[in-house]
Amino acid sequence: MAVYNIKHIILESYPVLTACIIIALAAGSLLKSSIVEISEVPLILMMIPPINGMGGNIGSILGARLTSALHMGTLEPKLRGQRVLRGNLAATALISIAIYSLIGAAFIVIALSSGMPLASSLSLGLAFFIAGMALSTALMFITIASAFVSFKGGLDPDNMVIPIVTAVGDVLGVTCLLLAIKIVGV
Amino acid sequence: MAREVDVRSVVVQGLSILLLCALIELGAGGVFTGMQEGFTAFLPGLIVMVPPLLDLRGNINGALASRLGTGLNAGLIRPRLRLSAEIRVNLASSLILSVIASATIGIFSFVVNLLTGPPTINAIQLLIQLIAIAVIAGFTSGLILASLTVVMAIFTFKHGWDPDNVTAPAMTSIGDFVTIACIYLAVLLVI
Repeated sequence: MAVYNIKHIILESYPVLTACIIIALAAGSLLKSSIVEISEVPLILMMIPPINGMGGNIGSILGARLTSALHMGTLEPKLRGQRVLRGNLAATALISIAIYSLIGAAFIVIALSSGMPLASSLSLGLAFFIAGMALSTALMFITIASAFVSFKGGLDPDNMVIPIVTAVGDVLGVTCLLLAIKIVGV
Repeated sequence: MAREVDVRSVVVQGLSILLLCALIELGAGGVFTGMQEGFTAFLPGLIVMVPPLLDLRGNINGALASRLGTGLNAGLIRPRLRLSAEIRVNLASSLILSVIASATIGIFSFVVNLLTGPPTINAIQLLIQLIAIAVIAGFTSGLILASLTVVMAIFTFKHGWDPDNVTAPAMTSIGDFVTIACIYLAVLLVI
């Protein structure tokens, strides 16, 4: 890796950041236009920030780890026979299971204390967990893809991966949540 | 970093910081919604600006954290709280990016407001105000958070933690608070 260069960092980052700004604006107005429909599901508005936030955070950790490994040469940008990649994915999966079941459990408690019956409280918590796991799985693929593609293309993945992962996570988070609620049937 | 990933330490470190973030996000959700609605009363177009500004802050600091994590792990950056050339370049580029990208957000939110909002009487003045708020908020929050990112990356590395596991998530959660506060400050200054 070359020693840091202001011009490089800025030229690489600005297009990605601008794309993320456009995605954030679009996602915001999409959410706003469908807010009446969405808010029919109880507590769902409260679930959106944590699912998006956690998705982005988990993707960021994996992204930061993969980029360090790529730069240091302990990881090569290919899928086969990569122990470092496997270890990092295992850790990410474990973190996801733990954090989404904890927040899911917290939502069961919140639902119960707001007077929802036990059955629908449980299915709401389950829906959050399923949505979180689906989001994490999707984000793991996106993290790996954006890290490998940018690294192969000669761009610094440190500048690319986290913006891409958080922006995609914001859009996918709500989608996963709505799908999971449909599947579980709250 | 070894060739073998220590899954256990990644999970322990990552999970403890994420629990903290989850608490912050669950607790802050309601406060945020209230504060953000308050913005609408100040200036049209302001509410449009808040989510992308928050995202931008997380992204710029996340990328900074990721670069510092790489630099520290690879031995390019020394774990000392001193403005070495590497840290200076990283800090400077984050701040310059903050200013340029925030200005972009100001322009975009003006355009969105022009397309979707009620007609404005003094469009040029609104454009200037929106850009000024975005840039002031972006720069001040950027300065605070970029410094915090450097301190946190070096501090965690020195104490045997991998900054890759903790810095980026911590900064996005703390960043939301600092950024909202800075937007308020900017609004008060500009209007």
